[in-house]
Amino acid sequence: MRRDHMKSVLPRGPITLLGNLSETRYWVYLLLFPSLILLLLVVAYPTLYGFVISVREMRLTRPGLNGWVGMKHYVAMMSDRVFWISLKNTAIWVTAAIAIEVTLGFVAAVALNRNLPGTKLFGVLILLPYFLPNVVAGHMWALLLDPRLGVINDLLVRIGILSTYKAWFADPATALAATILVEAWHGFPFFALLFLAGLKGIPEDLYKAAAVDGAGPVRQFRLITVPMLKTVIAAAVILRVISLVNSPDLLLVLTGGGPGNATQVLSLYAFQTAYREFNFGYAGALSVVMFILLMLFATIYIRLTHVTKE
Amino acid sequence: MATLSINRIRKSYGALDVLHGIDVDLEDGGFLVLLGPSGCGKSTLLNIIAGLDEPSAGDIAIAGRSVTALPPKDRNIAMVFQSYALYPTMSVERNIGFGLEMRGVPEQQRKAEIRKAAEMLQIGHLLDRLPANLSGGQRQRVAMGRAIVRNPDLFLFDEPLSNLDAKLRVEMRTEIKRLHERLGTSIVYVTHDQIEAMTLATKVAVMKGGYVQQLADPRTIYERPANMFVAGFIGSPAMNFIRGKLLSDSAGARFTSEGVIVSLGGPGGANGTRECVLGVRPEELKVVEMEDASLEGVIDVVEPTGPDTMVTAIVGNQAVIARAEPRFQGRRGDQIRFRVDPSSINLFDAKTEARIDVGDASLIRPIHENGFS
Amino acid sequence: MQITKREFLAATAALALAGSIRPANAATAINYWHHFTSQSEMAGLLKIIELFGKAHPGVTVTQESIPNSEYMAKVSSAVVAGGRPDTGMVIAERFADLTAMGALTDITKRVNAWKGRANLPENRWTGMSQDGAVYAVPAYAFVDWMYYRKDYFEEAGLAGPPKTLDEFVTACRKLTNPAKGRYAFGMRGGAGAFKYVIDMIESFGSPIVKNGQAAIDKAAAVEAVSFYSSLFLKEKVVPPSTPNDSYRQIMEGFRTGQTAMIWHHTGSLIEISAALKAGEQFATAPMPAGPKAHIARVAYAGNGIMKDDNVDAAWDWISFWGETDAAIALLEATGYFPASTAALEDRRIKSNPVYQAASKTLEFGRLPNSFVGAAGWSENVVNPAFQSVLTGQLTPVQAVDRMIEGLEAALR
Repeated sequence: MRRDHMKSVLPRGPITLLGNLSETRYWVYLLLFPSLILLLLVVAYPTLYGFVISVREMRLTRPGLNGWVGMKHYVAMMSDRVFWISLKNTAIWVTAAIAIEVTLGFVAAVALNRNLPGTKLFGVLILLPYFLPNVVAGHMWALLLDPRLGVINDLLVRIGILSTYKAWFADPATALAATILVEAWHGFPFFALLFLAGLKGIPEDLYKAAAVDGAGPVRQFRLITVPMLKTVIAAAVILRVISLVNSPDLLLVLTGGGPGNATQVLSLYAFQTAYREFNFGYAGALSVVMFILLMLFATIYIRLTHVTKE
Repeated sequence: MATLSINRIRKSYGALDVLHGIDVDLEDGGFLVLLGPSGCGKSTLLNIIAGLDEPSAGDIAIAGRSVTALPPKDRNIAMVFQSYALYPTMSVERNIGFGLEMRGVPEQQRKAEIRKAAEMLQIGHLLDRLPANLSGGQRQRVAMGRAIVRNPDLFLFDEPLSNLDAKLRVEMRTEIKRLHERLGTSIVYVTHDQIEAMTLATKVAVMKGGYVQQLADPRTIYERPANMFVAGFIGSPAMNFIRGKLLSDSAGARFTSEGVIVSLGGPGGANGTRECVLGVRPEELKVVEMEDASLEGVIDVVEPTGPDTMVTAIVGNQAVIARAEPRFQGRRGDQIRFRVDPSSINLFDAKTEARIDVGDASLIRPIHENGFS
Repeated sequence: MQITKREFLAATAALALAGSIRPANAATAINYWHHFTSQSEMAGLLKIIELFGKAHPGVTVTQESIPNSEYMAKVSSAVVAGGRPDTGMVIAERFADLTAMGALTDITKRVNAWKGRANLPENRWTGMSQDGAVYAVPAYAFVDWMYYRKDYFEEAGLAGPPKTLDEFVTACRKLTNPAKGRYAFGMRGGAGAFKYVIDMIESFGSPIVKNGQAAIDKAAAVEAVSFYSSLFLKEKVVPPSTPNDSYRQIMEGFRTGQTAMIWHHTGSLIEISAALKAGEQFATAPMPAGPKAHIARVAYAGNGIMKDDNVDAAWDWISFWGETDAAIALLEATGYFPASTAALEDRRIKSNPVYQAASKTLEFGRLPNSFVGAAGWSENVVNPAFQSVLTGQLTPVQAVDRMIEGLEAALR
């Protein structure tokens, strides 16, 4: 009690100093400081380290070879067949998955936005795939599409689309498409959720005005819904592209990049280079290329969609 | 011929009745204001007129033809929304002309119409801008422009001024009135602002709980409200309500309460008494010295507003507010007396809250009926 | 009572200190990384830990299970970033990579002074040694063999399991009936396919690595890849899903009766016995011999020390695995073949006909190829190249070219 009393009388207590500090503009920097340190430690440092090892020889199984090699890995990459296949597959994989996810996400969001009876429950159900870890989703689909026991094969044979069970992941013609469908199934709730939030933000009056003006559902969608969701779409696509390019887990579970590199993508290739060949230098270079490609994509995309304006 | 006929419109969501059989007619060139607090059903009614919502029963006719089964675009109406509802990606010009564009009006003609409407609303210089780059007032004008170019049978306004600040609101209100007088097109206008209703309407429908409480011209609504709800909703400050008794005997009819005696003159008809509420507007309470006083009380608060001074007084145990002279000198605690002109008062039944017409023979019920002793 | 902030902090610190001191008074704690994941494997491991606890009350072992496919990633991360375990499981195929990255501690002196060494003949140590230094104590072995459906063979009029690849193909043709959804052989074309591709290459007479140099004989390798892929492409005696079939799929195929033969090792005996009746529905046989060599792997697995902090306790733990009690405990739970000769004399092995094929294989079986980069080359080069042959994207010649090219790069 007495100490408290003293504190309020003496102007120079630590609390008072802190109080005074909070009135100055340094306070903001002080508050940012912890998160800045954290960012530096867990983002900036690993990123820089990645750049550094990409110009070094770093093969765990060859401790003697350590040293600077400059652009060696990048030069080697230019003539690395698997790199080019992976690059092409990454582009196909990301583009196709996003296209499907955006479409499904939109349909789901519009349906959920109707507020019909049962949409609450449906809303939870639709989000379920997203709650599943990629690895779990991968194993589940591996079983669903299994060439021996798969329910999907069974259904397709029963309704006459297939004559015999198909090994979807064993045929290079269908492996990538099959994995894309699984990824899209897993990822579309992300778009549904964001689009739903976006749709809720569009004033009802706009649709009423359009109805009075005589614009049909298609025009309303094109002239109101899409433009009003532009920012949400742009942000969601960027986030999803980044996560798709960076996460090889589903492919690792479903195909391991096979058959014969038919489903090899950059992230999986970098992962395998690092953890199967223990060639961290080359894996680092692959990751740096992914990083640069993603940065380029994000910059160009943001420019094109003008989302930073307004 | 009526521009708009609303016939027995009912609307219910499941077990919840929102509109209980609304009947309103609007004459050609009229200005109908749907007035009421939120939740009274006025916006639902407007949406039903527009075709944005379907009635559960009843019929809407615009310009003599039933439109109940028609979609909004085929009703030849134009609507202005509270949120302006401008298409964010289109220029002002395209926004205004969008309805014409949808109806396949050739570009040449469209441009001319847009220009005309824009000039009328003084937004000709804004045509190339996007809605995001306009002020609230400018957006409101664009929204009105979009309605005007269509040259419809009926304009529908859904609380168009609610999002504007006080000064702009007054300005735009005048603008709407001018527009109506210039175009002569019928308007249905939804608002919860009684001043807008009073200034704009040729006809006001005061709504509450899905019923039209009173349908009349603004003057009548103000001076002869159909019930206590209407009386209290219209006017600011609100009408004073004083609970008391209506007495009738050989000396004539009079309203009495503690500190109040208002003689209603005339022969009182049958002897008797009745619980009722006296309604008197603040400007009808005239401050007087000694003689002729109908009310006697003590000043509680004095609030000068400039043109008037509002005086709150305690009469008996009830508060009344009076619009006094700007130079009123009284102070809190002073005695004050008011005179009331019997012709300016309203009487309401204490139970039903419905209007009692003074001088009506059935005004006073026999004593034994209401148990007065 | 009022407690000032300072008193509170002091008390908290004291409590924390007390908490951190306590374990020092108790037993030495070591941790152990392994890739046992199945129920039977875990049961065996827990039993060994229990036995160890009785024999060495001063040491407590904390086990950590890491999925097999993640094991090397986790170990290499620990080597690079720190956080090594005291001890870890070492299988023969990974030995070269693990020693090359310096993950294992040299335990030669301790091994030489160890009495349990008598039960482990010299060939057990070969896969656990490099340049005369020993890095791990062998514990159990995976012996490659073939499982076949005895009932299917009888149905097809086949007298016994094929002894050579020629007989194998003949049997395959008889056993296949796609109309019934039955295929002769559950070929592994997905993850892990490389193992049998490399076996085939050696069966056709080509070495892989000699004196640290790539030594693949192209002609022999092409012949081997052509033969092996023809089972899928030409003979069609393997399921159409082969290019993506890995361990899980070939097991399901065999257990559900889709296939009549699979190649695997002794480690899957328990799982198969659970689904099919040994001696009636299925039996085991040595791998068929190739035209130039009879290849089957005997891969000893053991345990090594990965960190020097509690090296005495760690040694106690890994050497305990080489003792008879531990080997028998593991055998009982999992059916894994003991490395210890003393345990091999156990009646559970001697009297079980199913194990005869494994005992026979021990006489001629080879250790897996072990060179630095073997794992990376196998999984990242051999696997996709062979899959590409199966899917028609590469010819066997092109595939072998890629394998040689990849091998040279891996050894460089």
